[in-house]
Order: sequence, then C-alpha cells, then structure tokens
Amino acid sequence: MIALRDLILAFADDEHLIGQQHTEWIGVTPFLEEDLAFSSIGQDELGHAALLYELALELDDLAPSDTAIDSLAYERPSDEYRSSAFTEYTTNDWAETIVRHWVYDQAEMLRWINVTGSSHQPLAEIVDRVTAEEVYHRLHADAILDSLLANADASSRLVDALERLAPLVPTVLASVDGEDDLVKHRVIRQRTDTLLPDLVTNIDIRFGRTITAPTPSVGRRSRSSSFAPLMSRMREVFDIDPAAIW
Amino acid sequence: MSRAWSDIEAFEEFLDDGGIVEVDDAMPAAYRDAVFNFIEMHANSELMGGLTERDWIPKTPGLRHKMSVLAKTQDEIGHGHLLYMVAADLGIKTRRQMLEDLFAGKSRFHNVFHYQAKTWGDQVAIAFLVDAAALASQQAVFKNCSYGPYRRILKRIISEEGFHMRLGEDRMMRIANGTNAQREMFQESLDRWFWPALQLFGPDSKPNDVLLRWHIKSERNEVLRDKWVQKFVPLLQSYGFTIPAPNLSWDEVTRRWDVGPIDWEPLKRTLAQGGPDSARRIGEARKNWEQTSWVRDALDEQVPA
Repeated sequence: MIALRDLILAFADDEHLIGQQHTEWIGVTPFLEEDLAFSSIGQDELGHAALLYELALELDDLAPSDTAIDSLAYERPSDEYRSSAFTEYTTNDWAETIVRHWVYDQAEMLRWINVTGSSHQPLAEIVDRVTAEEVYHRLHADAILDSLLANADASSRLVDALERLAPLVPTVLASVDGEDDLVKHRVIRQRTDTLLPDLVTNIDIRFGRTITAPTPSVGRRSRSSSFAPLMSRMREVFDIDPAAIW
Repeated sequence: MSRAWSDIEAFEEFLDDGGIVEVDDAMPAAYRDAVFNFIEMHANSELMGGLTERDWIPKTPGLRHKMSVLAKTQDEIGHGHLLYMVAADLGIKTRRQMLEDLFAGKSRFHNVFHYQAKTWGDQVAIAFLVDAAALASQQAVFKNCSYGPYRRILKRIISEEGFHMRLGEDRMMRIANGTNAQREMFQESLDRWFWPALQLFGPDSKPNDVLLRWHIKSERNEVLRDKWVQKFVPLLQSYGFTIPAPNLSWDEVTRRWDVGPIDWEPLKRTLAQGGPDSARRIGEARKNWEQTSWVRDALDEQVPA
C-alpha cells in the first residue's frame, strides 16, 4: 500500500510542479500564442495532479474535497513529497523551459503507458482521460521544436539547454521504494526507472544528441535545493493566515 | 464589398443611421486612426492586465483555484490576441509593431495596469473592481459600436469577462466572510485600487468627442463612472468595507452616492508612463521580449516569403 501511495504521489507531485512551473511563464513567452498554450497546458497538468491526489486520498479513506487535495498538494513536510529534481528545478530561460516541456511530456507519456491496464482500477480508469489531453501537449512541443531545431542559432541554444538539464533527466523516471512489488501485482508494467532508456532514445532522435549516460536510480526520498524556495512561493498566501479559506 | 463615402458628412450620416463599417470599406483616414488607436489601447490593456496578474498566479492558494485563475488569464491574453488581429487588419501597424511600441513605452494602456498588485488582496480587487469597470466600458462600446469587426469580437470578450467578474466576486466574498487578516488585507487593497478603478473610465467626455460622434463609444465617461459608483459603493459597504473617499456622501433627494471631487493628476501622470509601476512593468516586458527574440527570429525564417 505504501509503495502504491508513493507511486501515485510521485506522479501527482511531478504533474503539480510542472503545472506550477508553466504558470511562471504566462505572459512572458516569446509570443502570444505560446502564452495561450502554456496557460492551457498548465491547467491540464494541474488538473491531472488533482485527479492523482484524489486517488491518493482514496487510499487514505479520505473524501477528495478541494481542501483535502490542497493539504496534500501544499502542506506535507518536504520529505513526504515524491517529486523529482527535474520538475522542482526553476528554469533560467525559455530554451530550458521549452526543452523541459518536451522532455517532461515524453517521460509522462511513458509513465501513463506504464499504468495502462493497471490492476489498481482507479488508476487504470483515468488513463484514457489524461492521455487524450497529453497528445496535444506533445504535438505542441514537437511543432515548436520542429521549427526551432531547423534554425542553427535556435538549435544550438536548445541543445545547450538540453545539456544543462541532462543531469536532472533521470530523476523524472526515478522509482519509488517498493516498485518491484508493484510490478509483481501488475499495478505497473515495469519499474519506472527502467523506462529511462526509452526516454534517452526519444531525446536522441529528437535532438540528434545522446545525453550524458544517466545515473542509476536516484529514488524519490529527498528534495533538491530548488524545492524549498518553490514551495515557499506556492504557499505564500496560505502562510498569511493558516485559518483562512481563500 | 468595399464602400466609399463622398465626404465626412456623408460618412457621419451613414454612422448616425446605424451603419456598420467593415475593414475593406474606404473609411475616412481620421476614423480609421481613431478606431485603430482605440482597439490598440484595448489590446494593450488586456495584455498588460494579464501581466499585472501574472505576478500572483504562481502564488494562487489552491490547486483548482489556480486552474481557474489560469483560465482567466488565458482569456485576457486571448482577448489581446484577437484584438491585435482586428487592429492589425486596419493596416496601420502590424502586431509585432504594436507589441514593440508597447514594450518601448510608446503606447497607451489602461491606467490601472500601471499599478502593482502588491498582495493577493490586490489580485482579488483587480478581478472584482477593475474587471467590472472594464466590462462596463466594453458593454457600452458593444451596444452601438460602428466598427463591425470590433463589435463582433467584443461580444465574445464581454461574455468571458462576465465569468471573470463572478470569479472575482466569489473570491471577494470568501475574503469578506473570512478572518480578520483577510479582511484587513482586502481593505488595504480597496484603499489602493478604488480610485484607480474609478479613474479607468476617464475624465468627463468632451462635448465633441469624436469617439462618441462616430459611434465608436456610445456612452459618456461620466455616465459609466457614475453607474459603477452607484453599484460598488453600497456593495462594498454591505460587506463591511470602508470606501476610501473622505468626501463620500449620500444625497437623499437624488438617492445617489457622490464620491466628491476626483483628483485626475494620478491618471494624467500614469498615462504619460509615469504611473507607480510603469517603469518596472514596461521594463520587464521589454526585457522578456528581447530575451526571447531568437525564438521569433527563428520562426519568422520558417515562413515562406
């Protein structure tokens, strides 16, 4: 049960944080259509996070109210989050942002495939709904990369950004503790960290660049240095008055 | 089908009869300029409004709450996107030129978006007070606007803005019914935003305002401003907030609220780019625009000549 809860939280936390990261770019992307795309994709990712937090609440026998979802999303001690350094990281520029968007959505696709037909029925039931939206996220990221990678200057900026992000990439497919049991019970098809070679291959095909050999599984028990400032920003209004309902 | 008028009198007669001008009509240059300037300012205001709110989007308290706020900002930027297209079709400036003028500090946008949203309370005050003011102005333009493409876009904008106002009202009520800390925060926001929101309507319309004469606007500024005052003064008071107008009075005879003399100096300063947050706001937008020019340059290259 702990492994299943961790698996769901790992996915929920990553969806939450990538959605959060998208919100930082609205209004300051290179052009208006991209602002609109990031607003839309950000909403989808936060919505997926809410669905997954609901599944975690069900395991705890708690009703999935907005308040309960928010207490999972914002109020756990940092060592109880299961997010990855890849989604915790605050990007420095648009090149890193669009590359992370593309890489994240590829990793996300692999993770959803990995729970398709899951023996944990509630998880299996949300796959179709979520993946129907995810198709458009990947089409969007691919369309913009198709154009930018065809330009020498833009391509070199994107490849540099990929190199900077590369050390963090394996973290987005890190396994939670106890995944071997989850495979045995057919909750997932394979350990999450064994999806990494597929992601590296997809990156290779897309960017024509093999990223530095990924490290073995790093787990999801600790947070990166980006997490605390990110969470403090997200909690700023909540922290004004813990008794308040906003 | 392009139409033409023999002179400005014939054109004005057409407008007075309820005529609707379309983009391919041979409209008088002065009318074209006036419509363009009006729509450009509206487009800029939608975009800058989105930028004013973006400071607080990542801090929105609550996951589903944040989704609603994102949807609202997406609408605002979407309105900007549509309006820039309608403005660009008039053939005076391209969208890129309009954006570059905006980020160079050469263009105008609504006074309120020269102010900083300093707290979450400000964010809610904007959604509640400012969106209502903007909506009232847009409804008045929509009612009788002589420029067809703008009027059609306004229909969609107004329906979405109605949702925003209800979202703002819902959030304001949660604060009004909330803790002391919440109520104090909103009172401070009201103190900061009441007058700028009221000034959004502008000073009294001039007797011979071409925007009115050419049916681009259909209501005088002072009429719209007064409607806003009559609605929001009692509403805010009913939630227990204090209106920051020392000369506020209730006239028993006319049964109307009077906010007293309005100091227009802050509005004049603001529209001359000297508002409280103008430099930072424009400066940041310009910096972001410059830092992402490589993307636009690369994409422009993809477009066949």
